[in-house]
Formats: sequence, structure tokens, C-alpha cells
Amino acid sequence: MGAESRSSVSPPGRRYWKIAVVVLGVTFVVAAGLYHLARLYVLNEAERNIQAVLLVHKGTHRYIQEVMHPVFYKLRAEGLAADTFYAPEIFSSSFIVRNQHKAYNEERKAAGLEEIYYKMAAFNPRNSVNKADALEEKLIRMFNENKEVKDYREIVRIGDKDYLFVALPFLVNQERCMKCHGNREDAPLGLQALYPGLGGFNEKAGEIRAIESIRAPLEEQYFLLYIVFASSFAGLLALAGLLFFNARLRGMVRTRTHELEQEVAERRRAEEEVRQTNEELENRVEERTARIAAANKELDSFAYSVSHDLRAPLRGIDGFSLALLEDYGAQLDDTAKGYLGRVRAGCLRMGELIDDMLQLSRLSRGEIHRQEVDLSGMAEEIAEELRRGAPARRVAFEITPGIRVFGDAILLRAVLDNLLGNAWKFTAKTEEARITFGREEESGKDLLFVRDNGAGFDMAYADKLFGAFQRLHSFQEFAGTGIGLATVQRIIHRHGGAIRAEGEVGQGATFYFSV
Amino acid sequence: MILLVEDNPDDEALTLRALKKNNILNEVVVARDGVEALDFLFGEGGHAGRDLALMPEVVLLDINLPRINGLEVLEKIRANERTRLLPVVILTTSNEERDKLRSYTLGANSFVRKPVDFLQFSEAIRQLGLYWLVLNQSPPLVKV
Repeated sequence: MGAESRSSVSPPGRRYWKIAVVVLGVTFVVAAGLYHLARLYVLNEAERNIQAVLLVHKGTHRYIQEVMHPVFYKLRAEGLAADTFYAPEIFSSSFIVRNQHKAYNEERKAAGLEEIYYKMAAFNPRNSVNKADALEEKLIRMFNENKEVKDYREIVRIGDKDYLFVALPFLVNQERCMKCHGNREDAPLGLQALYPGLGGFNEKAGEIRAIESIRAPLEEQYFLLYIVFASSFAGLLALAGLLFFNARLRGMVRTRTHELEQEVAERRRAEEEVRQTNEELENRVEERTARIAAANKELDSFAYSVSHDLRAPLRGIDGFSLALLEDYGAQLDDTAKGYLGRVRAGCLRMGELIDDMLQLSRLSRGEIHRQEVDLSGMAEEIAEELRRGAPARRVAFEITPGIRVFGDAILLRAVLDNLLGNAWKFTAKTEEARITFGREEESGKDLLFVRDNGAGFDMAYADKLFGAFQRLHSFQEFAGTGIGLATVQRIIHRHGGAIRAEGEVGQGATFYFSV
Repeated sequence: MILLVEDNPDDEALTLRALKKNNILNEVVVARDGVEALDFLFGEGGHAGRDLALMPEVVLLDINLPRINGLEVLEKIRANERTRLLPVVILTTSNEERDKLRSYTLGANSFVRKPVDFLQFSEAIRQLGLYWLVLNQSPPLVKV
């Protein structure tokens, strides 16, 4: 693995720190959830305990009032019990329930369970143990003022323990209750004898006389342990999951890294190949350029020696032929003189050929210096020169003014020289000769043209027109070396343009070109 | 006096013939290469002891010469105190731009191309003779 690919993965220390944060977070969230659930559970348990105790009490109350009291009243009516007899131990449901609860708590304690506080709290109890404390008094008042409220709940802290405290309105005073709880004077005599004060008397019907006040402990010691264990377990599970996931990720990263490395290597190889190919191509181009430069140089020196070495002997041949004619003309007959004349004509023609060939070669080499060129002006100049060269000829030149192009002035001059010169030459035998230089548009492109109404040519040979030394007319008919149009075509091509010719024998020719 | 520097015997003969034809009867000294031409002008080699007060009115100098070519000869002529004002006409077959440029840069007084047509060549020689030997005033002789 390369150093650069390793740097994208976090350092190990940082990774462990992250894992610790995740595990602690999971543990905390799970613990919080569990705490909430456990608290609900514990509260519910306390609620159920309280409800169980209250239901038992209710049952006891009912049994005393609905079963025991009718039996007692029957016994008294039958005279089996004295009218004055009263014992709360066997008559007062409140007394019986209170003492039954006392016994119940003793049994709970014996069984190792915490006591459940229970009190029937009243403003004005017969027994002072039932006297309401401050909170209970407040609640009795609250229940009397808000008859629709059926219970009151609060979690209270006593010592270092939480308790669920529940208060319920106890009996609402009925008319039948007034026998014992109404005016003291109206109560059974036994009762009056037993309770000398006003406690439990002077109650009013329809009022809530007392509340049941009960509280059960919240068994927190269990759920704390449970929470710690469960949340630790969840944390461990999360840790294990993370480690497993991490290992899997690492595996995936390793595989992908390996693949990427292979890809990179492949790409490098491809790049290297491309680079090598490029280098090879560059070398080849350099080599070719050098070869072309060498060839050009060779061509240059070839042209130079042609211009020197081929022309010198020609001058000798011509010069000495003329010397023969001048010095020994008297000794030669007309045929011999005619032969010498042909020798001289051949020399001159070869001299022209050499000159034209050199021009073609020179124009084909050299660099192109582009600038704006006024071709119309140039054509006017050439026309003027042609007229001056043969003042006897009557030729109408029609030159469209203002034709300007971007190109090499010297080379374009050679183009117009040749094209206009040709037109001039091939209209020599035409009456009312006309030569036109202008511009036409063809499929959106500007085309320049030189047109004449001279000898023309057969379109069958159109493609031969631009070949070097190609001639479509005999020398006797029209003089020339056959190099002019080859030169023109080469110059046009070097400017990135094209040239073509249209014509008909005896109807003239038109040369279309673009620069 | 004319100094004709020409290595081609045909051209030499034709030039002499053209001079004669045009009644230019001045003495013609012929040098057949650059070294010989310089020897004559500086009185060295085969021309040692020559009277250097006698200098040609014009030098007709070819470019393509054995040993030392015409352009080098021209350079040496212009570098020498005694010959630096000497009229030199380049008379050559060449029509190359660079030869013209080089010749004039080195101080040639004229550049004439030898035509193939002897009649034209003869006319050129006639005009050269008329101009340089008759019309033109030679520069003062340089005393060294």
C-alpha cells in the first residue's frame, strides 16, 4: 500500500476514541430507556400492592356492614343483646380494618417485607390515631371541594427511600351513618358511654368524612441492578457489533484499495505506453523534419548549381553558334545556317525552361509571409505591363476593384502574373479579346476567377493543366514551358486554397481559385 | 584596363569576343580563379613585382570560381586599403536573391546576369564597357 492511500484512513487512536464514544452513547441511551421502563414497572407494582390492600379493606368494610351489622341488630331486637351494648372491636368497621391492617403489617414484617402505611384520616376522628396530619387535612378539604376528583397520587421521599403515596376519599356520609355519627344525644347509649368527647359526632350527610391515606415503597434496589446489567450488556453488544462492522469495513476497504492499486498501476502502464508512443512519434517527426530540411537544402544547392552549371554551357553553345554564323557565314549554305538557327532556338528555350523550373522550385520552398494584398491593384499593374509589352494588341481588361485577400504578396503576384499572362497569350489570335478578373460566390464561399475568351481547352484534359511541363498547345501555336500553372497551383495550395479550370476549345477558359 | 575574373574558357572567349565586337579595345587581364585575381591586384604570387600604380578601371567578377570564390575575392578587395574603392561588377550566371544581397552587402558596384542569348550578352558587355570605361570617372588612386 502506497503512503498516499494510507493517509486517507484515520489514525488508530482516533478510531478507538470514536468507538468508545459510540459504545458509551449506546449504553447511556439504553440505560435511560431502561430506567424509565423500570420506574414505570416499580410504580405499577406499588400501585398494585396499594390496590390489593384497599380492595381487601373494602371487602372487610362491606362484610362488617352488610353481614355483621344486620346480625347484631337482629340479636338486639330479639333481646339477645342489651340495648346498651357496644364494642368497637366487633362493631366499628374502621376500628376492625385498622387493627386488621396492623396485624397485616406485622405479618409482612415477619415475611421480610416492608410495611405498607395505611391510615383512615379524618378531621374529627373518635380515635385520635385517625387524626389527619397537615397533608391529609388539606386533601380532605380538596376532595370535598372537588367531588369529581377520585384520587390523589404523589411520590414522596421519606429518609432515603421513595414511596408512592395515594389518597382516596373514604365514605361519603349517608343518612344511615347519622345514627352513630350525627348528634351525640341521638347515638346509641353504649357508644356515648364509650366515647365521652365529640370525636366522630356532628358529621353532616353528603360530606366526605375521611380519606384513606396509603403509601407503598418503590422497590428500587432491584431495578438499579437490572439497569446496570442490561445497559452494560447493550454497550457490550454495541461494541461487539461495531468491532464486527469495523472488521468487515476494513476488509472491504482492503479489497477496494487493492483493486484501486491495480487500476492505478494499469493506468500508469497505459500512460507510460502513451508517453513512449508520443516520444516515438516526436522522434519520428523530428527525424522527418530533419530529413525534409536536408532534402530542402539539397534541393536548394541542386537548384543553385542548375542555375549556374546548366546555363553556362548553353550560353557557350549559343555564343559559338552565333560566332560561326558571323565569322563563317559566307562559307555556310542556307541549310547550315538554318540548322545553326535551330541550335540557338533550342538554347534559348532550354534557358527559359531552366528559369521557370527554378522559379517553381523557389516558390515552393521559402516561407509564406501573410499580409493584406490588393489583388485588384496588382491585376491592374500586370494588365498595364502586358499592354506596354505589346502596344499593338487590343485587349479589353475588366478588373473588379477592391478584391483584397490575406496572403504572400510575392507569391500571389506570381499567380496573377501567370494567370493573366496566360489569358493574354491565349487571346493573341482572338478578335475583341476580353480578359476578366473578378469574384463570384459559390456555396457560401468567395471564389476569385480569371476569364478569357481565347483559345480555351478541351475539358477532357482539365486535370493535366496543372502538371509541370504539361502543355495542351503546340509550341508553334502558343509559346511556353508548361510550368506556369504548376507554379500557380502550388502557390494556391500553399495558401490552403484550391484552383480549378473550366473551358471549351475556341470559347476561352476560366480559372477559379480561392486563397 | 579590365580585369576579367572567369574560370569558364567558353565564357572567357565569348566575353573577349563581345568586347572586341563592341570596339572596346582596352587591355583585358584574365584571371582564372580567385587566387590569381587577388595575386594580380595585390602584386603577389605570379604577379609579384607588378607595378601596383596600374589598376583596372573595372573588375568583371564571376561568383562561381575555383579555390577562392568571387564573393570572397570581393570581400578581400574591399578590405584592402589599396583596392577598396575599385569598381567591381559581378558578372554571373546566378539569379539567386541571396547572391545579389551578398554581393551588394559586400560592396559590389553592380550586379549583371549573363543572358543565355549571346546577342543579349553582347549588348550587356557593350553597355558595361560604355559605362565603366567611358562614362564613369574612376576613383582617385589610393597611395599606400
